Amino acid sequence: MSGLVREIRFLASDRAALLWLGIALLVACVSVVLGLREIATQRVVLNELIEIDSAEREVLDTLYQDWGDVAYYTFHLTWDSPSDFAFAALGQRDTSPWKHQIRALALEGQIYETDAENPDFALIGRFDFAFAANLLAPLLLILLLHDLRSAERTAGRYELLSATAASQGSPWFARAALRVGALTICLIGPLWAGGLLGGAGASTLVPASLVVILHIAFWWGVCALVDRYGWSSPVNLTALVGVWLAFAVIVPAAIKISVESIVPLPDGGEILLTQREAVNDAWDLPKAATMEPFIERHPEWADYTEVSQPFEWKWYYAFQQVGDQTVEPLSQAYRDGRIRRDRLAGSLAWLSPPALAERAMQALADTNVAATLTYEQRVRAFHKALREYYYPRLFRGEPVSTVSLQQRPQFRGKES
Amino acid sequence: MISMLAAQSLSVMRSGQEVLKDVSFSIKQGEIHALLGGNGAGKSTTLLTFLGFLAPASGNVHVQGRDVSENVSAARQAIAYLPEAATLYGHLSAYENLHYFLSLAGTDTGRKALDDALDRVALQPEARNMRMETYSKGMRQKVAIALAILRDTPILLLDEPTSGLDPVAIDEFNRLARDLAEAGRTILLVTHDVYGACHVADRIDLLQNGVLVGAFDRPAGMDRIDTEAVHVAFAQHAGA
Amino acid sequence: MSNVLSIAREESRLWLRSRLALFALLIFAVLLAAVSIATSLRMSEEHRERSEQQALAEETFLSQPDRHPHRMVHYGHYVFRTPPPLAMIDPGVDSVTGQSIFLEGHRQNTAMFADARAGADLGGFEGLTAALVYQLFVPLLLIAIGHGVFIREREENTLAPLLAQGVTGNELYAGKWIALAGVTLALLLPLAIVSAAAVVRGETLLASFGVIGLYALYLFVWCGLILLVSAMVRSRALSLGILALFWLASALIVPRMAVESAVSAMPAPGKIETDLRMQAELREVGDGHNAGAPQFMQLRANLLVQYDVERVEDLPVNFRGVVSEVAEADVTEVMNRFAEERMEFEVRQARFAESFGWLSPVVAVSAGSRALSGTDLATHHRFLREAEDVRFDFVQGLNRVHAEQLAYNDDINRSLNEEANRRTRMSAENWNVLDEFSFQPAAADERLARAGTPLGMLSAWLLLLTAGGVGAARRMQP
Repeated sequence: MSGLVREIRFLASDRAALLWLGIALLVACVSVVLGLREIATQRVVLNELIEIDSAEREVLDTLYQDWGDVAYYTFHLTWDSPSDFAFAALGQRDTSPWKHQIRALALEGQIYETDAENPDFALIGRFDFAFAANLLAPLLLILLLHDLRSAERTAGRYELLSATAASQGSPWFARAALRVGALTICLIGPLWAGGLLGGAGASTLVPASLVVILHIAFWWGVCALVDRYGWSSPVNLTALVGVWLAFAVIVPAAIKISVESIVPLPDGGEILLTQREAVNDAWDLPKAATMEPFIERHPEWADYTEVSQPFEWKWYYAFQQVGDQTVEPLSQAYRDGRIRRDRLAGSLAWLSPPALAERAMQALADTNVAATLTYEQRVRAFHKALREYYYPRLFRGEPVSTVSLQQRPQFRGKES
Repeated sequence: MISMLAAQSLSVMRSGQEVLKDVSFSIKQGEIHALLGGNGAGKSTTLLTFLGFLAPASGNVHVQGRDVSENVSAARQAIAYLPEAATLYGHLSAYENLHYFLSLAGTDTGRKALDDALDRVALQPEARNMRMETYSKGMRQKVAIALAILRDTPILLLDEPTSGLDPVAIDEFNRLARDLAEAGRTILLVTHDVYGACHVADRIDLLQNGVLVGAFDRPAGMDRIDTEAVHVAFAQHAGA
Repeated sequence: MSNVLSIAREESRLWLRSRLALFALLIFAVLLAAVSIATSLRMSEEHRERSEQQALAEETFLSQPDRHPHRMVHYGHYVFRTPPPLAMIDPGVDSVTGQSIFLEGHRQNTAMFADARAGADLGGFEGLTAALVYQLFVPLLLIAIGHGVFIREREENTLAPLLAQGVTGNELYAGKWIALAGVTLALLLPLAIVSAAAVVRGETLLASFGVIGLYALYLFVWCGLILLVSAMVRSRALSLGILALFWLASALIVPRMAVESAVSAMPAPGKIETDLRMQAELREVGDGHNAGAPQFMQLRANLLVQYDVERVEDLPVNFRGVVSEVAEADVTEVMNRFAEERMEFEVRQARFAESFGWLSPVVAVSAGSRALSGTDLATHHRFLREAEDVRFDFVQGLNRVHAEQLAYNDDINRSLNEEANRRTRMSAENWNVLDEFSFQPAAADERLARAGTPLGMLSAWLLLLTAGGVGAARRMQP
């Protein structure tokens, strides 16, 4: 115990160590504040949009007398609300859409639209807690630990310290442990403060803290390993930064290249082209060519497939659906490919602790690839519900009525 | 009486070079023993071997009768070590440094004891609260010596304890070492200063290129070893 | 001069004899070569693929059968952004913006299928490119080998003899600078090779030399910083600490803070928000499919007066086609206004972020590198504008066919029966209103002009650091 007090007092007078710890604390605080602000902004934007969206729909509902027109002109907002922990790892929310406007036309032509941020910014990335904890913190730890022994050696104190502390166990462990502990607190402290402020529960904060602790522990191990060779401080630092470069940059880059060549993805452009072809060709094909594949999916409308006019809305929406059906294999392959890429990247991420930690935090924050895909599936499900709402009205030729419009499916945000 | 420090046929290798060859000596309690030699003679190596930082290639070293290789920490516990040109922490004051190192050694020492020790090495009281990076070389050496005294161990290993000290301070150190020896502490010091060694030591071993080449005892009743004889021997072997 | 050269020679001999320096150099040489090759291969593959897709899209459009011209307006067309040759060094925003746009009547679609969304996610640096290695990691190597250039002379007690011999601070600085700059130039070799390859693929010499010059300037800034710190500080540990701190701040922290500041200083209205506002305006323009809409009554009256006829049916042009053409022009005017607003906004945001180049040379070099490589935001906007030109031209071309070649009576009666419908199908020869599209970045001098601010920032950095370094070297005492 007195050893701890002794080392705390010693640390308190080590200006370099205090500088690195101060930077860690500052970086963690800033990242948490920025993350919280970003999530708050996203919430505000969503709330506004949801309001505008329903107001807009109210206006549109009075404009059209035909279900075909209603379905054609009415857009529906879908969204993926941020989780309470999303502030810590913005993850895919930076590059992938978390809000989408869709209508009852062919979905494949709509779902890949992006509502992208400034591309210059998406390229650089955001300053979130995950970035601070997973990429910056290891470097700060390296700076804190790289010269623990070597600086004493250079100063000629190494033998004196070792000889003096013979009976009290190694001072090195206490010193390193204290620095590691302090750094961890500098990271986890702001995380908890921000998390509690932002409403995140212990169910995310505890595992996230564990991720931070384990990740830091890994880098402590690396530092201890390099330390054993007894090199000078500059050599230690160079070697450790080299290890960081390998684990944080080179290994992830290599994994990315291999994952993407092992799991090829169908070309996105092809999905759109195929879908467009299918939808456009339908205009020139006999109506039956559209209605047959449609009925396969929706046998309940088999008695209503008679299309007497060159243009009828039910036929129009039928070929929209058939367009989606045509690209289904491609679209499914595209989605499966993304899932497989993500899974493979997840397994290979064990080779790179920073990548692993980042992925773990994104998973906790619900901002990972899986969450994006889930949102996409929810959009698909909503689109399906929307179609199934319109089909009876289109096929039976019902008149538009307020009562009927009130039964139209509404997109609901996910339960949080 | 068993010897406090003993080397038997000690050989030590450093970076592939045999830096100590078949060295044997033994020191009894209360004795001041000096290893005298030029640069690279193997003096500091001998001290590091007693502390267990270096392992003998052959032969062995004993501290209080026990082989160091069997229990390094027991050996270190019995020894206070003053490294050559010891630099304590520059960002700490003399008090803070002493307190830090003593607490590392597991002894809790009050301010009074610290002041006593610093008085004994004659460090000006007004400097004791200043950061050591402002100290002169001699002042730093005094604090390091104070640390060795304060450790209160039966054995002191001192590497060039008087380097950086002015003649007055050297005399003070010699008197201090004698006092400590009379109080029962055993001192092994290494130096290349013939004059100083002759004034403080009970016995001088002359070390040249890792080999003991001569020994001089303080004659009974004399207060020092004959400087002239040691000088001649030193020059002779250095020239050889 | 001979003093300077012998100091430089001595310094490089030291590195060549130091296993650590050699090892680090070797690792970086391998890394640079590997990443350069990988980036080059990937981007040239992308170039080939997208050119092929572009050709295919054009062929498909032209081979469409005879049909109603407005159907072709909705059939639409694709344009692909082929990466410019220098994307082999810096792919820039290529991976975060989509590479293709679907063009159709009355709509401006966004670019879709950004690589970043379909790629493996591994935590931040997985999209390693040659540009990124030069921007972020080569400085680390320079720090590792250069942080002690002056300190070493003190540690080994060689500084005093050197100065006593009459070597001046200037000579000392110049010698060390030459040694460090020599390493830098050697490290730029892979970049130079890829730039040369880009010239072979049609890039101008100006742009290629511009890129090499930009990166040389940038790395010299780091040399200047390293020399300054090494001359001012007395211990290796402190020098390394300061340089590490500077690297951490300028390479990792400031760029992201620039983004955060820009976003909070100028929050962007999202696409959906703008879309909703735009849709409201578009509704006022009127739906070009509905020639009877009130918005087109005036047009109708004017036309009747102009051709001195009583009925729409008697007009020598197809009124529905004319409405399509006029509505398309109006709609496009609104959409372009919104698009320009958005692009201008993005440019202002990016410029705000770019001003952080005064704080971090990394921000400056990355902006300059994207501008020179033709992979920056401005180039992306150029692509969007060119795509819009293609869209507007072919849509209006088709609308003219609609107005001039398709009889009004046939048009309004096309739903009567198959025969009537057949009369409204125009010959496929008309589809050649579509222009060939091949995306090219702006001319080299224009890109160089865009890189002007970053180049200025880096020059200022270099000047300041060199002046400081020379001053410190002059004052240097053993």
